[in-house]
Amino acid sequence: MMWLSGGFVFRRGDSVYHRLDPRVKLLISALMFVTTLLVRSVYELLIVIAFMVAVAAVATVLRRVGRTMALTASFSAIIFLINLAFTRNLESSFLYAIRFVAIVVSTSLFFITTSPDELEQVMKTFRLPRDVVFAFVTAVRFIPVMMLDTIQIMDAQKSRGLELEKGNVFRRVRNMIPVLIPLVVNSVVRSGELAEAMESRAYGAVPRPTSLVQYRASFRDRAVAVAAVAIFAVAAYSFYYVLPVQFP
Amino acid sequence: MKLTNILDIEGLTFRYPEAPKEAVSHFDLHVPEGEIVVLAGPSGCGKSTLLRTVNGLIPHMYSGDYSGEVKVAGASVKGTDMRDLSQRVGFLFQNPENQIFMFTVERDVAFGLENIGVPREEMRGRVDEALRLLGIASLAQRAPHELSDGQKQRVALAGVLAMRPRLVILDEPTSLLDPKTAGDLVALVAGLRKELGTTFVVVEHRIDLLVKVADRLVVMSEGKKVLEGTPRDVLFGEEAESYGVATPSVTKLQKMLAHDGLATGGALLSPAELARELEERQR
Repeated sequence: MMWLSGGFVFRRGDSVYHRLDPRVKLLISALMFVTTLLVRSVYELLIVIAFMVAVAAVATVLRRVGRTMALTASFSAIIFLINLAFTRNLESSFLYAIRFVAIVVSTSLFFITTSPDELEQVMKTFRLPRDVVFAFVTAVRFIPVMMLDTIQIMDAQKSRGLELEKGNVFRRVRNMIPVLIPLVVNSVVRSGELAEAMESRAYGAVPRPTSLVQYRASFRDRAVAVAAVAIFAVAAYSFYYVLPVQFP
Repeated sequence: MKLTNILDIEGLTFRYPEAPKEAVSHFDLHVPEGEIVVLAGPSGCGKSTLLRTVNGLIPHMYSGDYSGEVKVAGASVKGTDMRDLSQRVGFLFQNPENQIFMFTVERDVAFGLENIGVPREEMRGRVDEALRLLGIASLAQRAPHELSDGQKQRVALAGVLAMRPRLVILDEPTSLLDPKTAGDLVALVAGLRKELGTTFVVVEHRIDLLVKVADRLVVMSEGKKVLEGTPRDVLFGEEAESYGVATPSVTKLQKMLAHDGLATGGALLSPAELARELEERQR
């Protein structure tokens, strides 16, 4: 779980990449994602990964991406072994294993450079219903609050003699019940208060609410988007026609 | 006289569905514009219910047996929708955490304005004004989890004030604050009343904090209004303590001294004022 949060949680940054329009960042990540699915050899995949590393360097998140890659390696090893066991093909097993790393990196690049605020804007451009967007916003907004809640409840229960780290797996899961029940009760109370506050501030009053901030794609955003599509086209073309490295 | 009232509650009775007793019973209250009214009383006396009838959560969100009338600036709450009410009555809930929805302070302050469809340019001006009024312009881009409790409280209040309500309800606004921050909040409320002419209805257990700025103190018990008057009249009276109102220690002392003719009983004094008066009398 920890590698997942580390690899996908936004932290404030001030690089050129962070300042790109979130939709452009989504486009770049999506194109990188698709490219990893298009490649047919490890060499090509390494080129794609090299490109991702370059993007990470521009976004000044090289260290975090490196850590994510390292932490993904164990999953990747499992994928490699399972593939090898069934296909007995070293290269294709290796390809799948590396591809997994590449997929994680391409998506994590989007999430670690895009603030929840920008994510919301992206959701709005896809014209998702306001309720869906708002549910997402509050869910993300209350993650730190719920984490704090959990820690407080765990401390309270531990001080009353609950031993969370004792026993086998089943025992440990059962030990979590005294933590989960207060957490759920707290959340229900909290959601009631949220509903009152939303209602008091006219949530849902007009069908088309306005927005304080508006993301406008600048010339630079457009240029980067065009460049990304061009690089993708060249890559896709060369992987298919210029570098037809066949599996043995 | 009645025309200048911002809030008129007449014969209000409300009972939640399935509840054995009325939460608010035959309640009357008239508040002239610009006053700061403190509502006190033990927990479960119906304060929260009463507040919710003023901003429309009752009866628009919670239904029940409702009789009597609540009017804000002359308009019946029952006959006004939440869109209009949200611009007439602001409601600051007890826990600021649960009324901040957005990832940045300025987006959250704009939340209500977005919901009622205020155009972007106007919204920008109103958000900036609210941030300025509460002295939190420098926090505009912060995320909620990066704020202290006092700052969260101010952000929540900014979001309420951005709607430009003429009446603001504060539900135990200091209960989660340390004494210093709580004092700052009270000073802020007094300043806002002066600058904007906003009326405040405040539910508060820490009467000592508010006694200097409040125009009126209303005490509730079991859904009914049992005492009403200036803070001096209510706190110097015999009954307040029997309803669980925490009379400030300095007021108790002043009361005893006044009884013995050693201090004035004319107005509520702060500890410093009382000390000065005693000093002068000794000379």
